[in-house]
Amino acid sequence: MKHINKLLFLSLCLVIASCADNLEVAPVDTVNEKDALKTSADVEALVVGAYDAIGDGDLLGGNMLRDAELLADDGDLFWDGTFVAPGEIWTKDMQITNDQAENTWLDGYRTINTCNLVLANLNLVVDAKKQTVEGDAKFVRGLMYFELVRLYAKTWTDGNPASNPGLPLILAPTTVAGLEDSKKVTRASVQAVYQQIISDLTDAEGLLPEDNGFFANTYVVSAILSRVYLMQNNYADAAAAADRVIQSGSFALLSDYADNFNKTSAGAGSTTSSEDVFSIQVTDQDGVNNMNTFFASSDFSGRGDIYIEPAHFNRYESGDARLDVFYDDERTGKWNNQFGNVNIVRLSEMYLTRAEANFREGTSIGDTPLNDINTIRNRVGLADLGVLTIDDILNERLLELAFEGHLLHDLKRTQRSVGALSFDADELVFPIPQRERIINPGLTQNPGYGSN
Amino acid sequence: MKKILLSFFIIACVVGQAYSQGRVISGKVTSTEDGSPLPGVNVLVKGSTIGTVTDADGAYSLSVPGESSTLAFSFIGFVTQEVEIGQRSVVDVQLQADVKQLSEVVVVGYGTQLKQDLTGNVATVKGDVLQNIPVPTFEQALQGRAAGVFIEAGNGKLGQGIKVRVRGSSSVSASNQPLYVIDGIPMTQSSQASTGGETNPLTDINPADIASLEILKDASASAIYGARAANGVVIITTKRGKAGKTKFNVGYQTGISEATGHREWLNTAEYVELFTESNGGLTNGLIRRFNRYGADPLALTTPSSNNTPHASWATPGAPGYVDTDWEDQVLRTGSMNQFDFSASGGNDKTKFFASASNTDQEGILLGNRFKRLSGRVNIDHQASDKLTLGMNFSLSRSLNYRLSDDNAFSTPMQIVALSPMTPVIDPRTNLISGVFNPETGLPNSNFPIYYNPLIDNEYNTRVTEVFRNFGSAYGSYKLTDKLTFRTEFAYDLLTQHEERFFAREASRNSGQPTGQSDDFWTQVFNYNTNTFLQYTNTFASVHSLEALAGMSYQESSNDFGSSQGIGFPSNSYRKNFSAATITAANAQATKYTFLSYFARANYKFNNKYLLSLSGRVDGSSRFGNNNRYGFFPAASVGWVLSEESFMSSIGAIEFFKLRASYGTVGNAEIGNFDQLGLYSSIPVAGVPGQRPTQIENPDLTWEQTTQLDVGIDFGLFNNRITGEIDYYSKKTTDLLLNVNLAGNTGFRTQTQNVGSLENKGFEVVLNTENLVGALRWTTSFNFARNRNKVLNLGGQLLQGDFLSVAKEGEPLGIFYGPKYAGVDPANGDALYFVINPDGTQSTTNDYNSATYQPIGDPNPDFIGGITNTFSYRGIDFTFLFQGVFGNQVYNGGGKFMSANGDFFDNQTRDQLRRWRNPGDITDVPEARLFGANGTGESSRYVSNAGYVRLKTVTLGYNLPSSMITRLKITNARIYVSAQNLLTFTDYEGWDPEVNADTYAGNNINQGIDFYSAPQAKTITFGINLGF
Repeated sequence: MKHINKLLFLSLCLVIASCADNLEVAPVDTVNEKDALKTSADVEALVVGAYDAIGDGDLLGGNMLRDAELLADDGDLFWDGTFVAPGEIWTKDMQITNDQAENTWLDGYRTINTCNLVLANLNLVVDAKKQTVEGDAKFVRGLMYFELVRLYAKTWTDGNPASNPGLPLILAPTTVAGLEDSKKVTRASVQAVYQQIISDLTDAEGLLPEDNGFFANTYVVSAILSRVYLMQNNYADAAAAADRVIQSGSFALLSDYADNFNKTSAGAGSTTSSEDVFSIQVTDQDGVNNMNTFFASSDFSGRGDIYIEPAHFNRYESGDARLDVFYDDERTGKWNNQFGNVNIVRLSEMYLTRAEANFREGTSIGDTPLNDINTIRNRVGLADLGVLTIDDILNERLLELAFEGHLLHDLKRTQRSVGALSFDADELVFPIPQRERIINPGLTQNPGYGSN
Repeated sequence: MKKILLSFFIIACVVGQAYSQGRVISGKVTSTEDGSPLPGVNVLVKGSTIGTVTDADGAYSLSVPGESSTLAFSFIGFVTQEVEIGQRSVVDVQLQADVKQLSEVVVVGYGTQLKQDLTGNVATVKGDVLQNIPVPTFEQALQGRAAGVFIEAGNGKLGQGIKVRVRGSSSVSASNQPLYVIDGIPMTQSSQASTGGETNPLTDINPADIASLEILKDASASAIYGARAANGVVIITTKRGKAGKTKFNVGYQTGISEATGHREWLNTAEYVELFTESNGGLTNGLIRRFNRYGADPLALTTPSSNNTPHASWATPGAPGYVDTDWEDQVLRTGSMNQFDFSASGGNDKTKFFASASNTDQEGILLGNRFKRLSGRVNIDHQASDKLTLGMNFSLSRSLNYRLSDDNAFSTPMQIVALSPMTPVIDPRTNLISGVFNPETGLPNSNFPIYYNPLIDNEYNTRVTEVFRNFGSAYGSYKLTDKLTFRTEFAYDLLTQHEERFFAREASRNSGQPTGQSDDFWTQVFNYNTNTFLQYTNTFASVHSLEALAGMSYQESSNDFGSSQGIGFPSNSYRKNFSAATITAANAQATKYTFLSYFARANYKFNNKYLLSLSGRVDGSSRFGNNNRYGFFPAASVGWVLSEESFMSSIGAIEFFKLRASYGTVGNAEIGNFDQLGLYSSIPVAGVPGQRPTQIENPDLTWEQTTQLDVGIDFGLFNNRITGEIDYYSKKTTDLLLNVNLAGNTGFRTQTQNVGSLENKGFEVVLNTENLVGALRWTTSFNFARNRNKVLNLGGQLLQGDFLSVAKEGEPLGIFYGPKYAGVDPANGDALYFVINPDGTQSTTNDYNSATYQPIGDPNPDFIGGITNTFSYRGIDFTFLFQGVFGNQVYNGGGKFMSANGDFFDNQTRDQLRRWRNPGDITDVPEARLFGANGTGESSRYVSNAGYVRLKTVTLGYNLPSSMITRLKITNARIYVSAQNLLTFTDYEGWDPEVNADTYAGNNINQGIDFYSAPQAKTITFGINLGF
């Protein structure tokens, strides 16, 4: 009897003692942030995380490109999907609760925070890799701010960029201590945002090597800079930046236009087509190609929500090889590969940029505008043009880069209308998400989005 | 002389002694219910202490003093009987089951109490009430039976998650489900589904195994479960054996079921009319579209020039005209078959209970089926007069043929969006519409208008198989006759295999032209050990004390693995072994632990004054180091007024008790690592990477709920009327919320303890024995009102889906958005209300300018149930009406199905009321294709959804023993039972009891209808044999 008592009591104590340790349970599927940034490899992995963030389906993984096409469409497309948010974008009737406007904003700043973390922890990186790590982080941050400011703020040529509200400029990583202040940020002016973009991209251009696998190299940055300068109508710098990419020797136009598209990721170390300057990498294990989701028919694993209308086909000259990329008389075949990379920059864009910028400035950096346009035309089996007008250049650009996410930005920077809407119409700018304005009423709403 | 007197005296004494030594009375005690012998009955000679107890066969033998004339037979659960001995030497007695509620034994945490001594609020439901009800899971059998317990099955799919709310919702982000404890172990109860909507681990329990269910509702009763008791505790006790001859019971039931509601959709002529109007005329483009939907062969071969109206829709009644009732294609007559077996018996040392059950239910939705096979053995063994041992073991296997969640094109109810001119079978292929396009050799990509759910049913599979094993063992040792030591160990092992295969024919939905297969394995191993000491003593015959102290440890590990493959050579190959490419493979694990210490003391003075104190300390791995442990105390008092002299003279009042309780409990049902900052592995194209995915919160602590309950228990008129009335007030503070962070932080939310909410209400329970003669009639009535109010969310408005929000000053989950103001008679524009800065109200047709305001509340104002039971000779008749009043439902599918022809989904018939001409007064705006005229989320899609349901009706007949004893059967009952037989409601949707499963995981989302299937009304016939 006594022995049993003692035994029970002892086992009770043992049970209690051993159990208390078991309250410390470490996560297995994730890592405690206190253990996550200790070595150079950790920060290098964070850079990969930043590229993943900008490649999110709501950002350059597709929806930003899709929305640039839907918002700028005036009869070339037909939206037939059930998702409400892209529907509102296509009808140019976005509500302040539009969930694409919300997701693009949230995912955009998530990318920016990741870049800020890298830049704040550069001291951990080994010297041999430090420049590339910094360059990558600044490239992604600059590109992210550029894509966001083009959607959420008035374009550079609309009114006064120094007073137009742009975006909150966040340049340091978020800490728990800083959460209160994060609710009080204000929108820096469009000009201030562009200054930061150019500063980040210029730094990155100097830091990144000529070859960085499928991540950005110095020429990729130049290509993006050429776009930034175009938006600002800074044609001289745009021509120089585009020229740098063409002169690099790293890229070459393909002889078959259609071969540009539906490329698969080859993994780190090589690009998949000589004309590809930069793509968001997608594999069947990882990443998403939302251009496929919305543009491709179900025959190609898409939802088939976007049809190409006859009005678009009427723009092409007969014999244009670019027509061969369409199928079913109503679909573009540029996005047929469900696990294909999302093309962000192709070399042909650089020719078009150089031609337009040279034309407007009256220069011939690299080559004459006429030669550049004819190079593009010849590639798709079209005859040379004899005399060039600005409309020829803009038209060639529209056809060459159709449904690749350029239209809205090209129309706005050249002050062309979208149907009955002028380039500076309120409807062509995304609303600041209502969710953000509820948390931070100090974020001024864009005009035309009601009083809520 | 003295000698003679002495002799006489001695003789007289001897004779007198012989006379007063009296006689030996013997007999047998049986139960009136089924005639079975009752062992353990106390047989007492009235007015003395002479007594005995009946043996295993119900027999007794007692020496009764000569002058005694009355024997008293008493046994717990039975009405005490006093019987005159008279001249008999054999006295047989039949005891009747005692239906008085107050002498019941109620299970509370870690022990039991008599109902009359209870100072907390516990609702008890006996197991036999839950049996033979044709539902897969016991919670559905509970609806309407326990005051203040709101139970809602979100849709009519079998085996899906069921919402249970005890005294309202106490949390916004953490779970609102009560804690389910089965035979001492807090069981694994959250959905483990990876596909489709939530599933319900409680369906693995066979309702026939349940002896009783206790719901601990107030702080005093539930605080013994500390940090997990904020939503109440449901204690499930399974059946145990009783000493006596082994009793067998066999039951079989079979039945059919139908949907409880249908909706009306446009027919082809109406569809053509409405969309022609909304398109502004029958243009060629529209003709081509109708032709496409109508399976015109030309639509495939020459789509762009197909401008001749096709026979499928052109002329009503003409040959080839198609008018499909799509809803009818997916709602079918379901069926159920169930076989139950149990055996129970034992002797005074060892008792056992064993059961087996097999149920097979086909749902009312095409393709939905639930099968469960289960078995159980419970054993108690008295090893010595001090040591008792026992074990429970149960194993069940369930197979659920499931459906997609409500927000998927493949979910059956979304078929109602298909155009009526689309035929079920495509005449061009003789296959289901949408399966095959002869022009491409692939499934159609734009015919019908959407993916056809019939394809899913015909070619795809979604099956979930669960093996559930509960095992437990206990040892109870009497250290002294007042002090008992008890230790329990229990485990709950859940192994689930979910398989999903998309055939090639389903590529429009899956995006995979050559098929896709998903395979998910989950194992949850949950074990728990309780060790405690119990002390019971009565001092000086008036002070009665029960005390308890102990500890508990629980650990639950969850392991998960999955794979996804695409590219199968044909539909005959369905496992990822055969996939051309493995597109995803995953392995994950997580774990949590709880360590707790608890103590409780119940003190009773003179059977009149009651006091109960309890306290529990809980520590968990889920909380940060700073706040790892919480303390949860509770106190309650009771005063049995009916024992007081001033009250005992009032004859009508048999029992009257006042009680009050106050205490603190907690809610720990959140993620396992919410307090940490976390990084996750995020690669790009094969290059490994990482980035932050969660921001830390080092201050994260428990949610705390403090509850006050005051109530009375009463019994009037010889306990023919008994009942309880309670008022309670619960305040939850430190609400765990995912607080929205500014997007510029890079994080969407941070889990914080912010804010508070309250639940206040009252409950009334009334049980009456209306007639007690040969015709017995009893009524049980419960009624409750709960007012939920969110008090403080740190100034935030938390959004759920559609218009559901959590807003300060309002109940959780109210609908908050633009208020629809009808239609402008001048032009057919949809109008919304605007509240101007000066407080006046005006209307606008600009949806973006409409003022957001509360427009509906899914929380009921009142809930209740009333059960009437009649019995006459062998016939019994019971019916339960259950009601929910004052709640609203939001139709999330409204902007697609009731959108006055905004897009080509088939519309509800009420859209024919649309505005057409200036001057029309109507509530349906003008039909405008792509016009978004009135399709914004607003009160247009809010409806009243209160209902009264005839929840359960049972008519049974116990065959008279004269008929069956020849067959060696002790009892036989045949019965017919119906569930959800009648529903009375104003709700025009399928069924007012609804919460779409896609959204049900978020507490803010309540009362959302999104193509959610109606509930099932079921009728079954059954037979039960005992022998």
